[in-house]
Amino acid sequence: MSPTDFTRRDFIKLSFASAFGVSYSGWMPRLALAAEGTKPKACILLWMAGGPTQTDTFDLKVGHANGGPSKAIETAVPGIQISEHLPGVASQMKDLAIIRSMTTQEGDHDRATRLMLTGHRPGQEGVNYPSLGSLFAKELGDEESDLPAYVSVSPFRFGFSGGPGFLGPNYAPLTVSGESDDPEARANLSVENLKPPAGVTKESLERRMEISKFLQDDFAVRANSSSTRTHKANFSRAMRMIASNAKGAFKLDEEPAAIRDKYGRSRFGQGCLLARRLVERGAAFVEVTLEGWDTHADNFNAVKRLSGTLDPAWTTLMTDLRDRGMLGSTLVVWMGEFGRTPKITATTGRDHFPLAWSTVLGGGGIKGGQAIGSTGAAGTEVADRPVKIADFYATMCAGIGVSPEHENISPEGRPIPLVERGGKVIEEIATVPPKKKA
Amino acid sequence: MVVKLAFPFLAVVLLQAAIAAADEPAATSERMSTENLAIWIDERFAEAWQESNIVPPAEVDDATFLKRSYLDLRGSIPSVSEARDFLDYGSGHRRALLIDRLLNERRRPDKHADRTAAHWATVWRRMMVPGNTPEAQMAVRLEPWLAEQFVANVRYDEVARKLITATSDGQAMVVNPRLGPQGTGPALFYQAVGGKPETAASSVSRVFLGVRIGCAECHDHPFASWKQKDFWGMAAFFSGIKDGSVGDLQVARIRPENSPTEYTAAFLGDAGAVISKGKTPRQALADWMVAENNSLFAATAVNRVWQHLIGHGLTESVDDLDKASPAERQILDQLAKLFVESGFDMRWLITGVCKSKLYQRECAAMVQADAEPPPGQRPIKTLSPEQIFNSLEQALSLPIARADDSARFNGLRTQLIARLNEAASNKPDEFRAGIPQALLMMNGRLTVEATDLNQSRTLRGVLDSPFLDTDGKLTALYLATFSRPPRDDEKQFLLEHIRQQAGEQQQQAYAEIFWGLLNSPEFVLQK
Repeated sequence: MSPTDFTRRDFIKLSFASAFGVSYSGWMPRLALAAEGTKPKACILLWMAGGPTQTDTFDLKVGHANGGPSKAIETAVPGIQISEHLPGVASQMKDLAIIRSMTTQEGDHDRATRLMLTGHRPGQEGVNYPSLGSLFAKELGDEESDLPAYVSVSPFRFGFSGGPGFLGPNYAPLTVSGESDDPEARANLSVENLKPPAGVTKESLERRMEISKFLQDDFAVRANSSSTRTHKANFSRAMRMIASNAKGAFKLDEEPAAIRDKYGRSRFGQGCLLARRLVERGAAFVEVTLEGWDTHADNFNAVKRLSGTLDPAWTTLMTDLRDRGMLGSTLVVWMGEFGRTPKITATTGRDHFPLAWSTVLGGGGIKGGQAIGSTGAAGTEVADRPVKIADFYATMCAGIGVSPEHENISPEGRPIPLVERGGKVIEEIATVPPKKKA
Repeated sequence: MVVKLAFPFLAVVLLQAAIAAADEPAATSERMSTENLAIWIDERFAEAWQESNIVPPAEVDDATFLKRSYLDLRGSIPSVSEARDFLDYGSGHRRALLIDRLLNERRRPDKHADRTAAHWATVWRRMMVPGNTPEAQMAVRLEPWLAEQFVANVRYDEVARKLITATSDGQAMVVNPRLGPQGTGPALFYQAVGGKPETAASSVSRVFLGVRIGCAECHDHPFASWKQKDFWGMAAFFSGIKDGSVGDLQVARIRPENSPTEYTAAFLGDAGAVISKGKTPRQALADWMVAENNSLFAATAVNRVWQHLIGHGLTESVDDLDKASPAERQILDQLAKLFVESGFDMRWLITGVCKSKLYQRECAAMVQADAEPPPGQRPIKTLSPEQIFNSLEQALSLPIARADDSARFNGLRTQLIARLNEAASNKPDEFRAGIPQALLMMNGRLTVEATDLNQSRTLRGVLDSPFLDTDGKLTALYLATFSRPPRDDEKQFLLEHIRQQAGEQQQQAYAEIFWGLLNSPEFVLQK
């Protein structure tokens, strides 16, 4: 916890809960998991901006009018079928758990994004809720690392931008832009302002750093304050990132061409490769966005195209993580802000539908090879095992080994839980981490 | 060396003193002069420090005072020539004269007063609608109206009244001659904070009374004494705010969503007070709020001015005045009373504070981590994103006209402020930044252009000048960024750095130094 975040917070002295929350950082459950040999270290979020259809991906209704032309295929797990356009993902099913009974209330892009990314309904009591990446970066991240804990690759969102909220700028995402008009082109993934301008030589950079050090040390003596220290720490961190070029994470050319091809030469595909490299180098939370899922028209062609980008990238990510022994310590989350209507519209599209939709969890502490809940023949409502946002968040927390009862303290001294009250871990797919005894 | 023009300048100084004195808030029979206010402030704190055995810090040197007053009042560092003028031409009263000019000078080319009013409008807007959401950004359109109030030095109780009772019906679009149509005046405040009675009540209570009742929306406040009925009693005044329009209902009542209870309007902490007939609910609220005996209103106004100028309010938390101890409130309440007697005169208050010896003292030396300065002593302050842009604009000698594709108008300013805002704190004594902000200052477009020998106006100006030797060039760079000349130890280190580069490379050395200065803590932190 940064020394600058909670200075002069006398309210902390007043509350038992806050004293509990300030010291408890979720290390206990992680120790317990370490004893089992799996220590969660990271989370990768595959964010499907726009709201991905469930009826044409993970919860098909073949034979029903709502199913449309989508066909299903068997997966590596007997009894679980998914879309024919996701054959690679199907082969990974043993390590994935599909939640078919997600049910949330928000059908507006901005509000739904906020809900899925913070775990809380928007506008409640003026709390500036941190986004998932910031929350998990705080639990998993290493403050001394040369890489920021939370990296967001080619973000695209409707409205809500997913910031650190009250956790402060130490947990803000580092944005990696994905500017490329040609989706098949070598992805142009870069961090804004990371590279010094072309004319600046290595020697010049070193001289600049010498001058900076002189000025900083001098100021630190003459004007000692927490602000001065924060400036210095942040500056040093940025300089280390520049000097190590973000630990070389962005040098995708280092990877064999074959691997890059397997991920797919799309922005999303190369973004997933980048995510794996970032996690290898110590990033705690990486999100990679694939946008275009808001298929109000021409749903089936769009989904086929998107699946063609998603399938190789996700499949290769899973196999890559497994081959490197990282799958057990990396939670993988696949979701959007809501699902889409089972009923097909006049424009051959599907509209927003938060009442019964699908998300997928895998890796980390998740027991894969399962499909939780069902939505009945028509898919218009949850028939069995409804999973609300709080339950989903509780399960993700379990997936990275953090107790769902964990709280952060807001600057006003209020304990803000990671999981909204009442959220229950889906016990079929994750174990509830033990909570610290008072 | 700098050329001195002794006599003509002195004449100008005396003339300006006369003009400044004429514009300055005068001492009337009901209130003390600003000089006496300054003395009063010094006396109060001398007593307080003596009681606690605190030795007050020494007075700052002229360069520190120059930068401090420019940033606090005008929101930007001075230009090199403004700095040279102040530092090189001595007069016993130059500090007081500077304060007067920054607050009151309306003549071209400086037009300090307008820039000061614009800066205070930004400060006030940031205080009224904090945060980085799109709604908060909407509040930027409040600034032209706020600036008008500051320029005309409208009484603060009037400003509060106008804001509290603002309606969106029949409001003419405020048209700023330079920037085009702007929002809808003060009513925009309600939309910027959320457009609902609950958010209005929460914001108005915090902004004007310095108390946070937001927690009590859903349950009785855990730490303070506000109950749910207190919150909804205040929200009832704003029941006419809904669906994007800002108006008043005949009868001020409100029923919270999903609640069977209907609440009638009740003044916070004063529920027994009667709401006079013949006024709209918000007019009644405004009357009650700005009344002389409302201890929270004047004290909060004074506290906020103090927080901006000194860096830290007179009480520990400016937004939790209800939690301040009587000891903490002693000086604050006395000063608030003087403020009321002055006619809620903001310019009088600001002038008095800035002319005090207290304002001219060094920052408190804080040896421990997270230590707080003793009351009345300054912490190191951080520059706001707007101040950082203004200071960069000044240090980089950027063009400021629209026709010149200036950073102020072509989107660079918006971008820089947005990025810095992502991390910025609401409190002047808290520096916050993340890696994207650091990278922006190090490698962002403005910095890259500023340190490019071909593109940088400042570097070209300094390096091409035939009048400046090495020492003079270094001094010019320091004056441009830090508003002070380099100290001997700094000169020693940096001149060595310059000497190490031969011939062509020497120019590069200055570029590297300029980069170092722009990225040093001294540029974004304020002593």
